[in-house]
Amino acid sequence: MPAWSYLASPATFYGFAGRLAPWFFALAAVLGAAGLYLGLFVAPTDAQQGEVYRVIFIHVPAAWMSMFLYFVMACYGGVSLTFNTRLAAMMARSIAPTGAMFTFVSLWTGSFWGRPTWGTYWVWDARLTSELVLLFLYFGFIALANAFEDPRRGDRAAALLALIGLVNLPIIYFSVQWWNTLHQGSSVNLRGTTMHKTMLAGMLLMAFSFWMYSIGTALTRVRAVIIERERRTHWVRGLAGARA
Amino acid sequence: MSHEFYLWMSYGATAIAVAAEVVLLRVRRAQALARVEEEKDLEAQD
Amino acid sequence: MSSAHVELHAPAAGSFGGGFAWAFRRDMTIAWRHPGETLLVIAFFVFVASLFPLGIGAEPELLRRIAPGVIWVCAVLATFLSLPAMFAADYADGSLEQMALSPHPMSGWVSGKIAAHWVASGVPVIALSPLIGLQYGLATDTLAILAAALALGTPVLSLLGAACTALALGARGGGTLLALLALPLFVPVLIFGAGAADAQASGLSSAPHLSLLGAGFLVACVALPPAVCAAVRIALD
Repeated sequence: MPAWSYLASPATFYGFAGRLAPWFFALAAVLGAAGLYLGLFVAPTDAQQGEVYRVIFIHVPAAWMSMFLYFVMACYGGVSLTFNTRLAAMMARSIAPTGAMFTFVSLWTGSFWGRPTWGTYWVWDARLTSELVLLFLYFGFIALANAFEDPRRGDRAAALLALIGLVNLPIIYFSVQWWNTLHQGSSVNLRGTTMHKTMLAGMLLMAFSFWMYSIGTALTRVRAVIIERERRTHWVRGLAGARA
Repeated sequence: MSHEFYLWMSYGATAIAVAAEVVLLRVRRAQALARVEEEKDLEAQD
Repeated sequence: MSSAHVELHAPAAGSFGGGFAWAFRRDMTIAWRHPGETLLVIAFFVFVASLFPLGIGAEPELLRRIAPGVIWVCAVLATFLSLPAMFAADYADGSLEQMALSPHPMSGWVSGKIAAHWVASGVPVIALSPLIGLQYGLATDTLAILAAALALGTPVLSLLGAACTALALGARGGGTLLALLALPLFVPVLIFGAGAADAQASGLSSAPHLSLLGAGFLVACVALPPAVCAAVRIALD
């Protein structure tokens, strides 16, 4: 039997996730410590912005995560709709809160970076508006998934919503190219970067840290989701008994 | 507002958000297990 | 809701056009016989949009500046109010399941329903917008651009609204959930629609805004009906 179909049963995945999650949190902590060290103590002061540019070490990785996690969530949603599997839907539900958190952090840190540099906490330009729409898409996903008596109906409706909302991601990403917006264009892309090496390293380390953290939270949360959904089964009952 | 204020507000809010998420994870797990217990007790009474 | 009075013919073979025409005629007939929803949309739009000039008083410059945004917000909210009516009654009395069994492809009759919704809620808004705009002292060319933007944008609102309504069929938390789903998706349409009229009023070109709205309209027409069908199927399972 191929490995993934063995894992596709909630009962087996529960144990698997429980064993893996701590490693991802540990990785996140190490990478985060390294990233913060580079970002706060090693990277030089910016010529134009002074110290406040250091928000970038949270803001950009959080923004990347907000989009990436939505994409992964939508993929799990698509898988759950195509193959009618429960576990894929449970993983989508488990990713949503972390995705919403990073979207909020991206908007908040962007706001507190914008005030000293642009002079305003908020502007209705294309990128900020579509990132705000992303936050509401996450909220909508969570609300819709939990709005039905039958959790499977919630799974399917939320998965479809996630797929419909995918169109927002290219809008967020390309908005600074398509429109003359206040938000600056990307300084990091596949061709290279104009950033100072330590700044780039700090940003990448923080991005990987957030990524590992997200996997850790998703694996931890899916265990709780599995307990909730499979609470009538023998093995979950056994779990609860052992803790008493 | 000094630049330190904006840095603290940014890093601080992120730290709070991450801490809150981790705490809520534990709360959710405890609630899920409590619900299982509750249903077991209800069925035992039948 | 006496939708039962409207006959559900079942032709031997189905087509997109057949399904579209049938559903469009049916929903328009229902809207004609029970004009409550349509009148609500019109009344809301007119009353709320007219409140601002009354409240702000004789400050023509201020009114002229806020007009596109205010009129668009009223249009968005009026559309939002009329969304549940698209599927709720048919879902409740089982007509939706009946329609799903028809030989017409679902995309046909779903599109017909959405078109009927637009005619009943979007078209009155477009038609009334010049009158409302005059209350705000907008110039004729701005009124024209505003109406054009509404003409491009309100179908998109109907399409997006249909997807959200279908997703939320039978859910707890009804109106709030629908607001959470639909209003964020309406925001970009609002921004570009109001932006088009604002640009015209400032003497700039509204072409970029209108072409974006047009592009959005085309994408929505192609991509959203299948999504609405998928949502209806999920609701009927």
